[in-house]
Amino acid sequence: MTNYSQKILDRSIDPATHEMMDHAQKNNWNIVWDRFDSMQPQCGFGELGLCCRNCAMGPCRITPFNEVGPKQGICGATADIIVARFLDRMIAAGAAAHSDHGRDIAHTLLLTAQGKASGYEIKDEKKLLGLAAEFGIPTEDRSKEEIAEDVAKLAYAQFGQQEGAVIFTKRAPEKRQELWKSLNIMPRGIDREIVESMHRTHIGVDNDPVNLILHGLRTSLSDGWGGSMIATELSDVLFGTPTVKKSAVNLGVLKKDEVNIIVHGHEPTLSEMIVAASQDKELIELAKKYDAKGINITGLCCTGNEVLMRQGVPSVGNFIQQELAILTGAVEAMIVDVQCIFPSLGAISSCFHTKFISTSPKAKFPGAIHMEFHEEKAFELAKEIVRTAVENYRFRKHGQVHIPDNKTECMVGFSVETILNALGGSLAPLLDAIVKNQIRGIAAVVGCNNPKIKHDYGHVNLVKELIKRDILVVTTGCNAIACAKVGLLLPEGADMAGEGLKTVCNALGIPPVLHMGSCVDNSRILVTCAAVANTLGVDISDLPVAAAAPEWMSEKAVAIGTYVVASGVYTVLGVVPPVLGGPEVTNLLVSGAEGVVGGKFGVESDPFKAADLMTNHINEKRTKLGLPV
Amino acid sequence: MTTTVGPFLMVNLERCVGCHTCELACSVAHTPSGTLFGAILNNEALFPRNRVIQVEEVKLPTQCRQCEDAPCVRVCPTGATFRTDTYIGVNTNLCIACKLCMMVCPFGAIQTTELQMGEKSKRAAIKCDLCVDRLNGPACVEECPTKAITLVYPKEVMEAANRSSSVRYLDAVKSQIALEKQS
Repeated sequence: MTNYSQKILDRSIDPATHEMMDHAQKNNWNIVWDRFDSMQPQCGFGELGLCCRNCAMGPCRITPFNEVGPKQGICGATADIIVARFLDRMIAAGAAAHSDHGRDIAHTLLLTAQGKASGYEIKDEKKLLGLAAEFGIPTEDRSKEEIAEDVAKLAYAQFGQQEGAVIFTKRAPEKRQELWKSLNIMPRGIDREIVESMHRTHIGVDNDPVNLILHGLRTSLSDGWGGSMIATELSDVLFGTPTVKKSAVNLGVLKKDEVNIIVHGHEPTLSEMIVAASQDKELIELAKKYDAKGINITGLCCTGNEVLMRQGVPSVGNFIQQELAILTGAVEAMIVDVQCIFPSLGAISSCFHTKFISTSPKAKFPGAIHMEFHEEKAFELAKEIVRTAVENYRFRKHGQVHIPDNKTECMVGFSVETILNALGGSLAPLLDAIVKNQIRGIAAVVGCNNPKIKHDYGHVNLVKELIKRDILVVTTGCNAIACAKVGLLLPEGADMAGEGLKTVCNALGIPPVLHMGSCVDNSRILVTCAAVANTLGVDISDLPVAAAAPEWMSEKAVAIGTYVVASGVYTVLGVVPPVLGGPEVTNLLVSGAEGVVGGKFGVESDPFKAADLMTNHINEKRTKLGLPV
Repeated sequence: MTTTVGPFLMVNLERCVGCHTCELACSVAHTPSGTLFGAILNNEALFPRNRVIQVEEVKLPTQCRQCEDAPCVRVCPTGATFRTDTYIGVNTNLCIACKLCMMVCPFGAIQTTELQMGEKSKRAAIKCDLCVDRLNGPACVEECPTKAITLVYPKEVMEAANRSSSVRYLDAVKSQIALEKQS
């Protein structure tokens, strides 16, 4: 047992992370936590959301001081206006990221349908037909390609739609749709709401904090029930709807004697091809020629989650472990697409033989080799990338390799369809368990890592507390990987749950924490909530459900949190968003919103206290539904 | 009267970028909760003891210089303002917010504000106290992102200058003697 410094132990609860942090420290490699330390103290005005750079009369800074200091920007904007504008821009950026991902998937589906994409096929015809029926696209006597083309075009049209409602909002309970209409926050088109956010937050446009926040809600809804949902649904059509499978997570999934490739970022489009290319006999033979025993594809972040859910590709870890993976010295290629990729990876890769390969025309990085991805030549590119990695194995310095042993088995692949299958085809057994209080409620725990919170501490402790209280947890993104690392994604994880939940899990053979996918797959959680609400004939805000993002950091997380709240769910954030400088806005988010959309935010960095907040909320909803508490 | 030469805050004019972080750090350091989020959530008054100003192109924080013969101490009719070996403080219980200290301070480093005294509030003078009760020293020094503010002890600076100039003088003398010997 190695004794790590208190500093290392304070930064993470994950032993593999401790080991690699120690390894980094001994070698004087600078990683995310070191940069976090040198950034301290962080700007208080930024933390409160009180600085505005939206025009060149500024930058303006409102002081939170009593009596002294400016209380208005140069244009006259108050603290609340500045905070609300900035929050809207964060939501818009997050919605843009998810939705642009959705647009890319629609593009791939369109090219596949037109026979222009290399290596892709429509893997889930059932899902395609379901979508066609939902979209009112004729299916009789038509090939799946013809149907897919129409589906892709209709999905495409959602982005540029000017009026009406984004199509998937129809999946929400009718009461919810009516509420959105009455508040005038029904998203009309995906791009439109994002553009309007940018317009409204330009100097001298929308200067009513409440009006700004309402549009923020609309923009976020265009993500959750729009861009993200398109990404999920069309990815399922192309790559197959996830089904239950076993895999493993943590840095120990890297192999000492194989070519290790990591796919990192957020989209499944190229990574699916890389998984396919890695099975190419010629490339495997080439690897053997260089004394590697095989080609080991692993994932990171949400690209990792996409291929974990569909292909059972093991994950090396969550967001904050990305540098540590390279520091193992055992990675031949780190392939990235978009989102949450540290720009530091180039410099870190340069300490090793690791090739850092960027692939998206949208995302280039210092120190990266750019091998640009286009659907038309996807499979060829994937093979070329795998070949580059295999060729690179020769240059691995085996003496420098340091891979932690830690890896944990996990059970993944719980799409809505798979959950329904596990329940025997209907939601009835789940609802029955909720009514009988075997399951107290459902909590969605999602989100990133953030060095402000001890790595995985927020995630794991919150989830453990919730399942102890018989609350079934559904998870996506970096929370899912945190849970996987400690065995919560295994059926045996039910031993950590309360008696009621444990009984249900054991009967169904499922873990107490269900991995539903990547961060765009939070749309699966919305679909689940809507399905439960529709079955019971109530609104989502009536359900005994709650959400949390214990270690969030990205603008995407802000968009997610907002659409979850706008869909009627209480959401607890583990990191304070930059809004506290605006008292009116803060009050609206943590309290006033409930009277308007039925959901609100809570802020609590202590996972145990957060669990209390969520449990109390779930109990309140149970009482209102007349269910035993 | 004591003869101690106490410390004071010195500003590196080339480093200050005018970000006002020191004002925020100062006001937070003087709240009961001691953290920014805590103070905001608990509705605690934030009031800086320092002030960032701009003169021509130069930005700099201004605060009390902890004068040794301080006019604010001399002028105080109630004895609220006092000098210790380290700093000049205000006994808020005695202060009547008469503003005489504000008038006589040549640096504009003292002002009156509403202070929370248990359940009640009263107006009193406040000024930089060098965060004497704070474990890590002055908050502004610690939180300045460009490290423009330092807590200096004039006597130490003086003694260091004594030493270094003496060393230089000695070196010069030595080399002169060496030269003379050679010739």
